[in-house]
Amino acid sequence: MRLARLALLTALVTSVSVFAVTAATAGAGRAGGTTTITFWHAYAENASAPEMQRLTKIVIPRFEKLNPGIKVEQVPFSYSSLQQKLTTSVAGGTLPDVIRADLAWVPQYAKLGAFAKLDQAMPDFQKLAKAVYPGSLATNYYKGHYYGLPLDTNTRVLMYNKDALASAGITSPPTTFDALRAAAPKLKAKGIYLFADGGTGGWNVLPWIWSGGGSLTNKTFTRATGYLNSAKSVAAVQLLVDLYKEGAIPSLITGDAGATGTEDGLATGKYATILDGPWMFPIFRKAYPNFKLQTALVPKGPGGSVSVVGGEDIVMSQSSKKKAAAEQFIRFMLSPWTQTEMAHAGQMPVRADVSKQLTKINSYFGIFAQQLKVARPRTPSPNWPQIDTVLGKAVASAIQGNESTKAALDDAARQIDQLLAG
Amino acid sequence: MSATIQTGALGRSADAPRPRALLFDRRRRRNAYAAYLFLAPGFLLFALVILYPIARAFQISLYEWSIVPGATSRFLGLENYDRALHDPVFWRSLGNTGFYMAVTVPTQIVLGLAAAVLLDARMPARGLFRALYYLPVITSWVVVSLLFRYLFMTDGGLVNWVLHDGLHVIDHNVQWLGSRWTAMTAISVLGIWKGVGWSMVIFLAALQGVPRELYEAAAVDGAGSWRSFRGITLPTLLPVVAFVTVMLVIGGFNVFISVFLITNGGPLDQTQVLLTYMYRQAFSFLDFGYGSALSFTLTLIVFALSLAQLRIFARRGAA
Amino acid sequence: MVVGSIRRTRALLGVRITLLTAGAVVMVLPFAYMLSTSFKPDRLVLEVPPKFLPSSPTASNYVDAWTSNEFGRYFLNSVIVAGCTTVAAVFLAAMMAYAFARFDFPGRRVLFGLLLLGLMVPAMMLLIPQFLVAKKLLLLDSLFGLIVFYTGGNLALNTFLLRSFFRDIPLELEEAMIVDGAGPWRRFRQLILPLSRPALATVGLFTFLASWDEFAWALTIISDPSKRTLPIAIALFQGQHATSWGLVFAASVIAVAPVIAIFVAFQRQFVSGITAGALKG
Repeated sequence: MRLARLALLTALVTSVSVFAVTAATAGAGRAGGTTTITFWHAYAENASAPEMQRLTKIVIPRFEKLNPGIKVEQVPFSYSSLQQKLTTSVAGGTLPDVIRADLAWVPQYAKLGAFAKLDQAMPDFQKLAKAVYPGSLATNYYKGHYYGLPLDTNTRVLMYNKDALASAGITSPPTTFDALRAAAPKLKAKGIYLFADGGTGGWNVLPWIWSGGGSLTNKTFTRATGYLNSAKSVAAVQLLVDLYKEGAIPSLITGDAGATGTEDGLATGKYATILDGPWMFPIFRKAYPNFKLQTALVPKGPGGSVSVVGGEDIVMSQSSKKKAAAEQFIRFMLSPWTQTEMAHAGQMPVRADVSKQLTKINSYFGIFAQQLKVARPRTPSPNWPQIDTVLGKAVASAIQGNESTKAALDDAARQIDQLLAG
Repeated sequence: MSATIQTGALGRSADAPRPRALLFDRRRRRNAYAAYLFLAPGFLLFALVILYPIARAFQISLYEWSIVPGATSRFLGLENYDRALHDPVFWRSLGNTGFYMAVTVPTQIVLGLAAAVLLDARMPARGLFRALYYLPVITSWVVVSLLFRYLFMTDGGLVNWVLHDGLHVIDHNVQWLGSRWTAMTAISVLGIWKGVGWSMVIFLAALQGVPRELYEAAAVDGAGSWRSFRGITLPTLLPVVAFVTVMLVIGGFNVFISVFLITNGGPLDQTQVLLTYMYRQAFSFLDFGYGSALSFTLTLIVFALSLAQLRIFARRGAA
Repeated sequence: MVVGSIRRTRALLGVRITLLTAGAVVMVLPFAYMLSTSFKPDRLVLEVPPKFLPSSPTASNYVDAWTSNEFGRYFLNSVIVAGCTTVAAVFLAAMMAYAFARFDFPGRRVLFGLLLLGLMVPAMMLLIPQFLVAKKLLLLDSLFGLIVFYTGGNLALNTFLLRSFFRDIPLELEEAMIVDGAGPWRRFRQLILPLSRPALATVGLFTFLASWDEFAWALTIISDPSKRTLPIAIALFQGQHATSWGLVFAASVIAVAPVIAIFVAFQRQFVSGITAGALKG
């Protein structure tokens, strides 16, 4: 009957037209003489964010103007989507030309041979490498080669709510381990948590371990036993355990998805302090315009005030067919001009020469630059996700009181030894 | 007239003739030809998109599969499956999946049936009630998962506010998503809330298929409403209950999006269900071999359970 | 006794309506709260005590949701993909269901069993092998690829439901047509399809909802942002650093509205179809 025929016809026509449209757009990149490179990133979640505005309205147009014949197609992702996307794309061989990848991901994909060896591919690699922070550069290193260049950097500092502290009679932020211990009961009496964090993985816990004088592994990243379970490391984690036990740290740290987030908690005065990065300034400005965000260095312990290096690297896929154009884009993203531009959007530059004017660009960069002077990177291992999970589980287990801190870290160190070998 | 009724296998009275289902047993070959033509386009697509990948997924589960195309993967045989058997998180996720099913399936059936019974009468706004109960069913899992995560927040969540400040049933805010069983309860509540309307609609139609005369006759015999429910309604509904149960069990085992978006298996892998654990293995640890083994195990379990259920219900129906 | 039973019936009706209303409130309350939160600014989203009527309502969440990241484009993509999938999946499944319902042929049991197997396999498990198939067929990063795989994925359930419905169409009607000289295709088009409109509508709605809501596969094969679908857009609002609930819910309301509209419009056909499939299953 007419219904069936109509249905069939509709399906046919629609699918043909959709096919045609998608085929047409897929071919657009190859139109006459221009090379189009695809660039995947997780700068921000929506187009109105300052990083996205800078990228799409200023940075990329300038690149295309300086390089007629190359077009850049940027594809934004959310952070976790990008990670899954990379996995399936490696499996299917459909990686883009250039990727802004979290530096913790690089060794994993370098081992798979997914990223190009930039130190061999780019003739001016040495020049670029010298211009960036050595710590950031090191995050691209795997088994004798560099698989990318750093693009932006960041670290965690102490952020606090001045009014919340004042209400408990604390006039200056707690900047040492001892000050934290002293402040906890005073704040608890007012119903305020001393410190909140969203997890117990490397990103969360390493600042404490390092500031406590301990470490996760030895300097060559080959062994964890004797380091993760050293007396100093155990003592540092024990600080968190004790604070949690006396009710100074909320259950958010052990992964309670229903607990109030660090952003909401700090702004509403529920949490007195958190550790976080420079992106929080624009976020707070938008969500809590009346809240004045204060910062200080990571609390000092026996090992000093040592924080963890974060940031993104820019890499080129090994399978890219437009390597020359891709390299040109990478070069551009690392130029002083671009690094300065993106700094205006909250992205801390990795070039030492640009960093000199950091505070002129964004006054709040000052504390991060200072913290970065002694910040350390996480273990560059292709098995970092597993190592991170083992560490996170051990610390959370100790915090919840399931086992003693020493036992938890002993067990974790043993497991991490095996992962480091792989 | 007695209060017990003879019912056919499909919930209809045995008096009605069973329709012949097939045509032309005589002209076999031409039938087969026509049938294949009708089947071909759909089945070929189905084979390409579902059947072939199933076989491939099993193949992948036998290897330490490298995701780089062209690289050689190490053959492991059944090692991945053996690894699963010794993996405490695997057993925990199996337990969580089982808990979710044990809580949501009977509850959806009972509440759905209850709502259907209530609705099975002439009343104003019946269509409106039906629509309202079905609203959660047609809403996207992504949306309702985020919504329920918001509702179950410890401070500022609606559930705690109602229970604590409103009804004063609890004395302090429950950290719903902070530990295994409370989080699984919250996720199960979502599952029940989302699915009740579906079974209700099916039961309602089944109830309306029961001839009124039966109830009237039972009333004349002096049977109260509970006895006629037990003697007339329930036996009639048995095949429907069977269908609903099988579908709900399959759905329960396939729970993924709600757990993924609400707790992501946390805290500390406490709320992992089979599919979220498989996802973590495949996409965080890049271990596709193990991930495939986990999901294949799940498939076997669901398959076995479905067959068992069908057999049980068939036996009870025949009795 | 008559008067007493009328009073009893009325009281019983009152009880029914009360209980049903209580249940309906529980069903609808979360949605109402979601709608209300979508109009709240960030700082009031976690306010205690929670308010159903926002104290300072704002439409900025909706504006932000719609203007961010080509949301309108994602909406259109979802419409195209879900629409085409529905038409294709229903039609192909109807053809298969007709074959299973009316014909006896060698391999019928085996093929149907394979179909049931497809029903029980979790879609997540097939992500990687399906990706490789899509790659070979050049279906990656295209809406057409989504349509092909969504259609294939819905065939098993649709065929299962339609088959049981077709079996109940009286044979006599079809045999009458055969006497008139009608071939199977004509019988399919002129008798089976028209008679099964409610079942087709139901199955169509199931398929539409499944495609509208699908997340994991779309995320896997679509790279070009202009081809993304709605669930990805909503997931994008869950930030790496913080979640803006007002924004998430505004986007959710936009995503859910058309589904509700369709359901309300086709409620009657839908309900009669779903139950028919279930009762005869």
